[in-house]
Amino acid sequence: MGKVEYDDVWKQFPTRDAPAVRGLTLDIADGEFLVLLGPSGCGKTTALRMLAGLEHPDRGDIRIDGGSVISLEPKDRDVALVFQSYALYPHMSVRDNIQYPLRVQKLGAAERGSKVEGVADLLRIRHLLPRRPAQLSGGEQQRVALARAIVREPRVFLMDEPLSNLDELKALQQQLGVTTIFVTHDQAEAMTMADRIAVLDAGQLQQLGAPDTIYQRPANLFVAQFIGSPPMNIVDATRDRDTLVLAGRWRVDAPRGIDGRDGLKVGLRPEAIELDLTAVSGAQPAEVLVSEPLGSEVIVNVKLGDALLKVRTAPEVRPDPGTRVFLRARPDALRVFDVSSGAALN
Amino acid sequence: MSVIGPQAQAQVAVPPRVGPLEGGSRLEWVLMHVAFLAVTIFFLAPFVWLFTASFDAQAQAYIRWPAQPTFGNFTGIFERYSFATALGNSVFVAVSTMLLTVVVVSLAGYSLSRIELRQKTWITYAVLLLQTMPLSATMVPIYGLARELGLRNSYLGLILVHSAIELPFLVWLMKGFFDSVPRHLEEASWLDGRGKLRALFEIVLPVARPGIAVAAGLSFLSAWAEVLMVLILVDQQSMKTIPLAFYETFRTAGGYTEVQYGLVAAMGVLYVLPVMAVFFATRRLMVRGLMGSTRGL
Repeated sequence: MGKVEYDDVWKQFPTRDAPAVRGLTLDIADGEFLVLLGPSGCGKTTALRMLAGLEHPDRGDIRIDGGSVISLEPKDRDVALVFQSYALYPHMSVRDNIQYPLRVQKLGAAERGSKVEGVADLLRIRHLLPRRPAQLSGGEQQRVALARAIVREPRVFLMDEPLSNLDELKALQQQLGVTTIFVTHDQAEAMTMADRIAVLDAGQLQQLGAPDTIYQRPANLFVAQFIGSPPMNIVDATRDRDTLVLAGRWRVDAPRGIDGRDGLKVGLRPEAIELDLTAVSGAQPAEVLVSEPLGSEVIVNVKLGDALLKVRTAPEVRPDPGTRVFLRARPDALRVFDVSSGAALN
Repeated sequence: MSVIGPQAQAQVAVPPRVGPLEGGSRLEWVLMHVAFLAVTIFFLAPFVWLFTASFDAQAQAYIRWPAQPTFGNFTGIFERYSFATALGNSVFVAVSTMLLTVVVVSLAGYSLSRIELRQKTWITYAVLLLQTMPLSATMVPIYGLARELGLRNSYLGLILVHSAIELPFLVWLMKGFFDSVPRHLEEASWLDGRGKLRALFEIVLPVARPGIAVAAGLSFLSAWAEVLMVLILVDQQSMKTIPLAFYETFRTAGGYTEVQYGLVAAMGVLYVLPVMAVFFATRRLMVRGLMGSTRGL
């Protein structure tokens, strides 16, 4: 069991001007793998530390399985945290590190031994048990830190930007079925592992959703530009009846429900633009600035009016600079944003 | 051959050999060694005297090989100058001072390192300010205070005063050590289910062990070697410590005219040996502590 609720949580550090976390409200289902994603300083680690009890919110409530944990000491919350630095106890062997929480729980030696060995087998670190943390590589330390968290069978796992190479973490989490909150600034890591992603910026929740939703239907300009590599193309646009006029007088069909005429921005993923080397009816001509071959794909930079667009193409499509190419937008992949609020309109 | 690499760096790290064939002339080499030798002799001479004189029945105020090596000086200080009492007092006072100091500076240093206090900077500087005051300036008030509180001629008085002497510096030292212990370690321990005090004892203190070794060593040495406060606080024979016994032996065993150097030297040897033994036993930890490192524990 491990259902987590943040209820209008605020946190301001005395040394900083702006609140680190502003009105965070977030429900995390039992067994879910939730990624808190955002740039550094967005409040994601503070949100995590408040759940662990290492920071106290100024306002709001945090509940685990329906019970408020705000007034509980970290030791009484039954959550495990894997620190960015791993925080292995340097004066203890790997075995003692892993069984430390079990000693605290006053388990007998036999039970401790079998649990430690079970989790060591799970993470394939049994051969490391007699060693000290200083004798381990970074990846091995990471596994030991994970083992120390797993062996306790806590209600919730918290992970504060543990370094990458966590290929099996997702599989492990599904196998164990423990609610996991994973903090990272790496959107690729977030996309591959999360059941849902919560995108934070400046202490505020920007969007909460499945990775595909976040990627395809970003809720605002921040999410649109933060997620994706290369990020979504954002160009100024005005509406003319049923069409949107983009930079370079490129006219595309307006999605339904767009009321405003001015102050619009259109977001197009690099793969939402089709690029042709020969003229196609209805396609917008544009000039190639440079092609960036990436092996499995090519990112073609094209100039459209005074805007620069990045278009993803197949590896064999590699137009030279100055070439005239023809662009078509996939109508369903168009995102329209309001410039002043940044919010998506469709 | 690669110039930059671990091997090249290792070579750089080795101090350049000073020999007649590399850099400098033969004369430079000779002069340098003469200088080293002179300094070494200057600093070693008192110890050489101490050890030779202690086994010499007719020791003099200069170094000479004992004509008839004897343990008579050692038995003499125990039989005639009740050295056993002084030794026992010194050991008890120094060890107690060390224990008290280590506990106090660990807790104080940890608090100053971790707890958010108003005016913490000022508190920390105030602690350091105490260290700058000359001990002799506090002689009279300490005497008065000890007399009023009945702490003269008592172990408690000696232990409290000796602890207080080194506390400010050692509080700073330990604060520095705790600053170097990552907070994540104790936070991990809290989340593993430990309360804050247990986490301090199980995780933070063991990691700060080199710092504690230094604090223990320095406070022991300070209490072991302290003379001034003992002179002020003690006038009973049964309470004297080695420095006081030393001074009395020097005075009564012939005064300043016919000093029995052998007895003084024997006492000096027994005064120095335990300290050297403790240092050699803990030298690796002490050196690491003095270098301020908590790595690779």
